[in-house]
Amino acid sequence: MAALSEEVLLVVKRVRQRKQDGTLYLMAERIAWGPEGKDRFTVSHLYADIRCQKISPDGKAKIQLQLVLHTGESTNLHFSNESTALKDRDAAKDLLQQLLPKFKKRANKELEEKNRMLQEDPVLFQLYKDLVVCQVISAEEFWANRLSINNVDHSLSNNKQEVGISAAFLADIRPQTDGCNGLRYNLTSDIIESIFRTYPAVKQKYGENVPHNLTEKEFWTRFFQSHYFHRDRINTGLQDIFSECAKLDEKGLKSMVFQGVKNPMVDLLSLEDKSLEEGYGSNSTAPSTSNTNKTVKENSNSAIIKRFNHHSTMVLAALTLCMALCTIIMCFLSKMSCHFYVIEYEDLHRENGKKTVALNLKKSDRYSHGPVPLLPQQYTTSQDIVNSVNCIKHEIASYKPCLTQVMSSSTASSAIAALSPGGVLMQALAQQAINQMVPNDVQEEMKHLYTAAGELLRHFWSCFPVNTPFLEEKVVKMRSNLERFQMTKLRPFQEKVQRQYLSTNLTGHLEDMFQMAYNKFHAWQTRRMMRKT
Amino acid sequence: MVMASEDEVSLLVIVVDVNPIWWGQQANREPQFTLSKCLDAVMVMGNSHLVMTRTNKLAIIASHCQESHFLYPCKLWKSGDGHGDDNASTSGDGKYELLSVANDFIAEEIKNLMSRTEVKGNQTDTLLAGSLAKALCYIHRVAKELEAGQEIKSRILVVKAAEDCALQYMNFMNVIFAAQKQSILIDACVLDSDSGLLQQACDITGGLYLKIPQKIALAQYLLWVFLPDSDQRSQLVLPPPVHVDYRAACFCHRNLIEIGYVCSVCLSIFCNFSPICTT
Repeated sequence: MAALSEEVLLVVKRVRQRKQDGTLYLMAERIAWGPEGKDRFTVSHLYADIRCQKISPDGKAKIQLQLVLHTGESTNLHFSNESTALKDRDAAKDLLQQLLPKFKKRANKELEEKNRMLQEDPVLFQLYKDLVVCQVISAEEFWANRLSINNVDHSLSNNKQEVGISAAFLADIRPQTDGCNGLRYNLTSDIIESIFRTYPAVKQKYGENVPHNLTEKEFWTRFFQSHYFHRDRINTGLQDIFSECAKLDEKGLKSMVFQGVKNPMVDLLSLEDKSLEEGYGSNSTAPSTSNTNKTVKENSNSAIIKRFNHHSTMVLAALTLCMALCTIIMCFLSKMSCHFYVIEYEDLHRENGKKTVALNLKKSDRYSHGPVPLLPQQYTTSQDIVNSVNCIKHEIASYKPCLTQVMSSSTASSAIAALSPGGVLMQALAQQAINQMVPNDVQEEMKHLYTAAGELLRHFWSCFPVNTPFLEEKVVKMRSNLERFQMTKLRPFQEKVQRQYLSTNLTGHLEDMFQMAYNKFHAWQTRRMMRKT
Repeated sequence: MVMASEDEVSLLVIVVDVNPIWWGQQANREPQFTLSKCLDAVMVMGNSHLVMTRTNKLAIIASHCQESHFLYPCKLWKSGDGHGDDNASTSGDGKYELLSVANDFIAEEIKNLMSRTEVKGNQTDTLLAGSLAKALCYIHRVAKELEAGQEIKSRILVVKAAEDCALQYMNFMNVIFAAQKQSILIDACVLDSDSGLLQQACDITGGLYLKIPQKIALAQYLLWVFLPDSDQRSQLVLPPPVHVDYRAACFCHRNLIEIGYVCSVCLSIFCNFSPICTT
């Protein structure tokens, strides 16, 4: 039964587990369930052991709660009280939701991490077996370097990337006709987030109205219906929750223009000269006649331009990087052709061609033929040539192929002997077969030895230069580790190799590496002694 | 041995160095191994290749100092059996007709070639690069004339006697790279002095280079080392490849150098730095 000191936070009756009626108790540190009428708990889980909880979907007849443990097991609890099942289940769920995070085992995470690393990398696993299990170095030293690397990775991945906003997100919503004179807008959470980031006024309105006054669906319907959303924001007289937004937007745009733009590439400042002022016909210092005399079309044009600019500036402002170049801005800028140099990208220039040097050859045959290494040339006298040619002519004139007597058997067998392994021509072959002469398991063991020795030597050499007392201790410890490794691993391997009559010196290099480490340690030690005395 | 299907044609082109000056001198040096013996050995090799598989093809080019001449197949081959009947030396030993006809042709052609030889003092080098180029062209032509569905694997075997000609370096390298592009192996069997060019050729194209210690056993070396084609060679234990000296020669002294200076305009190599390129 529950210990008397345990505080019971919640008791739920009529909870079935494995088709048995019982009672569910939520305590300070664990959750437990006991069957009806019995004193003991048959099921008890510490919150620390529970990985997560799951609930059955709303529509189902059975109202259930499932607890999934770290080990993978799960326990199903069925709330069977007719009247209060849902309320009970939700109460239990909420309580668990509050309690579980407190107990999540932190230390487990590290262990899981280590296990994962060992399982993923067989080389690492082998290294671990060789070094830590055989107690050559301690586990902390082994994990010292590795875990730190991984933690950095994790922290990096925790910084979620800021998702940018597509400038066309509003257009991408793409309403579909409903069949009967209506429009369907598909809103995803991405689009909603983009709208909120671009138009903070809308976000404000959302916060004010949902879920108190309107449901989300109604809010968005109104949003799309309102002329705030549509091109011509002329009829702003409608009673609309969004009419304020328009005014807020204008205020925001004006302040942004006032501030100027930091990045000259997105040169809104130049826009201010011409087009923005047109859009601001009503608020600018231009004569007021311009406003009233404007036709409706002009008004709508200026409104559109204003809205485009505002949209673009809001999108840009929402991003931390100022890289997006709106095509609208580009059009305006190119029309003005001022600040031309600002909009040029050097790397998009056509390749002007590098400065080339004309090829003037003084010795063109040297260029076309290249030099020929000086080789001893045989000098034949012309007399020799004449003699040779005559001789060969004479010989070939009477040539008759005699294929049955091409060579004698003794010459053939001597040639074969020369070509057989070990023969005159095959000497180079003998030296190449070392990896065929050494059995595979010996090779594998050598690889493991090398990896382990490399790891130890890395620890050793990383201690130099020895600046701190910690490094001094570590260097001494590593020296003893190296010796221990040599005794326990290297010597037996050597003996084994010798027993197999392999004459090749497989461990020479390893021994050299160790010896060099010992020499370095010795030198350092003597220097330290001399400094002390 | 891999059973070659009907669809695979293996073409061997043997380029024999018949430099009359070298062979003439050789007759005085070593009377037991003359050009006749060499040609005999080459014929044995050619016959063996033809006999290995019915679809094997053969070509033999004689590399002379004045020309490169096809000893086999010759142009008169296609002109019908009439020619063959006239000279029918149907050898009475029941040899495969193709082989006996081929051998006769080869003998005939080499006699004609040698009788045409004129003595010229300034042309003493074997035209090896030209012969190799002809070989490549022949292989290309045969590859084009294949029936649909047939594949061809070709290789060139060079039997080299005289020394390298340094002036042919550029042409040689072009030939080598062209062969490499076409996946044509170049093997080399060198009788007398090592040839750096052929070593490079074998290394680049993946062929075998061998300098044989005993010239009179040439036939044995040819059959043992060069008769198997590249697929079969991977199953056999053959002489290991030689270390090739790829060093370039500097333009000023013509010494082989390992580290040098290169002009960025004309790519001439010098062993000492000088701000002005002399090319």
